[in-house]
Amino acid sequence: MENDSKAARDPAGDSGNTAAAAPAGQETAQSAGAQGGLASVQQIVELADQLSACADQLHERIMRDIRAYEGRTVPEAVQNTARALLDDEVVLRQRANGLYADAATYIVKSLGKSQRVVIALTTEATEKIRKIALIGDITGLVGGLLQLAGAAATGQAAPIVGALDKIRAHMAAIEASKPPAPAAKPA
Amino acid sequence: MNTSRRVVTALLGLTLMLGGCASTNGPVSLTEVREFADASARLGGYAELSRRYRDTYEREQPYLPAAADKLARENDAKRRAVYEDFVSVQKALVLYMQTLSLLAGDARYDLSERIDDLGNGLKANTESALQQRHIAAYTGLTRLLTRVIASGYQNRSVETMVRDGDADVQVLLEAMISLTRLYYKTNENEKKTVLGIFDVELPMNTKSNDRMLVTLAKVHYLNKSSEYKLIDRRYDLALQGLTKVALGHQKLRENLHKLSEADVRRMLGNYAKDLRMIREGLSGD
Repeated sequence: MENDSKAARDPAGDSGNTAAAAPAGQETAQSAGAQGGLASVQQIVELADQLSACADQLHERIMRDIRAYEGRTVPEAVQNTARALLDDEVVLRQRANGLYADAATYIVKSLGKSQRVVIALTTEATEKIRKIALIGDITGLVGGLLQLAGAAATGQAAPIVGALDKIRAHMAAIEASKPPAPAAKPA
Repeated sequence: MNTSRRVVTALLGLTLMLGGCASTNGPVSLTEVREFADASARLGGYAELSRRYRDTYEREQPYLPAAADKLARENDAKRRAVYEDFVSVQKALVLYMQTLSLLAGDARYDLSERIDDLGNGLKANTESALQQRHIAAYTGLTRLLTRVIASGYQNRSVETMVRDGDADVQVLLEAMISLTRLYYKTNENEKKTVLGIFDVELPMNTKSNDRMLVTLAKVHYLNKSSEYKLIDRRYDLALQGLTKVALGHQKLRENLHKLSEADVRRMLGNYAKDLRMIREGLSGD
């Protein structure tokens, strides 16, 4: 059985050879990767694409062999060969997926700087938004203070209390929108 | 009297603050910028497909021959090792878009309610030293000032963020597009592994005593094959969405100085609309 499948693999020698060539090709791609750059990522992906394409061809070959029997019982030996070739096909697909995973790792590991820039810009913008909110709260505070001044002139308790509440709310909002690390601010 | 001094001080402070933000730019509507940023931040697909990529081994494992299992487990480890990095790329971008949306948003900058408050406060002082016409003038002037100043500041903030961010935002989006393509290619191999065994085994099992097994296998094959068809559509939509976000941000960058022009606004509005449609396509089947 073992011999059977080995012999049967020969006609599909093309795919077998490419699979054998894979580790060598992978090394080339990786040594190019040592020089850095996206070219190496592209090479890895191209190599993986080739392996996937070989697996597709192998699958077609298996299917052709089986279909040749046109629904009649497929002889045991042919069945065993087909199964062994299918195993080879799946191994090829795993090799390709391994290279895709390598390429994905290369890509994502090269993004540190861009990610830091984008996050820094986001932090900066958040600070600007905070300032705008502060303008709003200070405007509100001024309104409250004026109301208090007016209420004080009338001498009635209710409007005074209302104005004080408003001032307190705006003070709290202003307090809350202070930068997260006040210690870093020069006194 | 103490109060009125505080009022004067506060008014002075407000003027200084607003003055500090003064700008020569007039008010600009950033509605379309906000809509675009919002739609970009909400675009789905990538996160879900990253998870799917991470979990490839779980799905393919039952279909793997022993010879492939060791390799498959190595690949599984590789994918899991960088999953968090895949996610953090997207998190940075979503945070950026959310902040851009906030920065271009109306709510924060519409100070009219606060200004009305200010006006009411002034009105309450009719009997004090401030006279009615002064009050009207103060209110009107402040309203005008605040609108102009706030929107100029807002406009410049949006400009700075988009101009300084574009290059790196494009790098991140390009990476997300490349990664999604790799997810897709990995999924193709997974699909062909899962369906391949049925392609080969079904025609070889013609004995009548296997009938039940063959029937079950056929049903399973049909289910799996339609499941993969649905998934294929999601890769397609996710890629379309990411490409649109990249293009939209590039156009935004190119047109920063004419954001109030009708055709620029229409174009940005269209990007936002397309992104919302893609999102709908991703949330339904």
